[in-house]
Amino acid sequence: MHATVRSVIEAAPGEDVCILDTEASPEHLSRGTARYADGLVAVVEPYFKSLETGRRMATLAQDLGLERVLLVANKVRDERDLAAVTEFAAQHRLELAGVVPFDERLPEAERAGVAPLDHDPDSPAVHAIGKLARQLAETP
Amino acid sequence: MKLAVAGKGGSGKTSISGTMARLLARDGRRVLAIDGDSNPNLALTLGIPHDRLTAMPTLPRDLLDRSGGGAVLTKTLDEIRASHSVEGPDGVTLLVMAHPQHAGTG
Repeated sequence: MHATVRSVIEAAPGEDVCILDTEASPEHLSRGTARYADGLVAVVEPYFKSLETGRRMATLAQDLGLERVLLVANKVRDERDLAAVTEFAAQHRLELAGVVPFDERLPEAERAGVAPLDHDPDSPAVHAIGKLARQLAETP
Repeated sequence: MKLAVAGKGGSGKTSISGTMARLLARDGRRVLAIDGDSNPNLALTLGIPHDRLTAMPTLPRDLLDRSGGGAVLTKTLDEIRASHSVEGPDGVTLLVMAHPQHAGTG
């Protein structure tokens, strides 16, 4: 099944946007499902185990030969969280492409069974994700 | 742009994937979203109701021809879109690898 997804991504035209939501394990990446992606976005939370998983995923993606490997910090509550993520990224020479603030609207949307964008299109997290998406789409 | 989004369970990777897909589609881009998780919930963050997801076909194994030693798709991407995708809000096309009840078989 991983091979099928890999081939579908390969077949997708580069001028379109293709977003693969991967399995929540580094193993998925090591099977090469993401090989034909141009980039990997490793979503991390500002605590050590999550950051460390993100770093392992980033290393695997670099080993697969992906051109862009980026960290995105999610559920960032305050300056201390931001500092932890920024320091981790710098220490491991990873590009921190985006910071999404902790936002109660997201778990609310999940409980209501609706998309975050439909629950509250003006929520801080949705704004930050939009900024990230446009920045990624516009950078060649 | 072809992006893989990864992260620990609970990191919010699926909320970020789904919201990025919707917003880029809203900007006028053609967006293909693929749920590669064996416990899929990208449909929810895209705003596709659960009953539409369970009714949609997952990617079948025979889409890949391995007889030549490599792996070649037996259909074009447009054919796969036509037969195996569901269109979500803002025109996002979603492909799923597995249904929730088939978790672990992907």
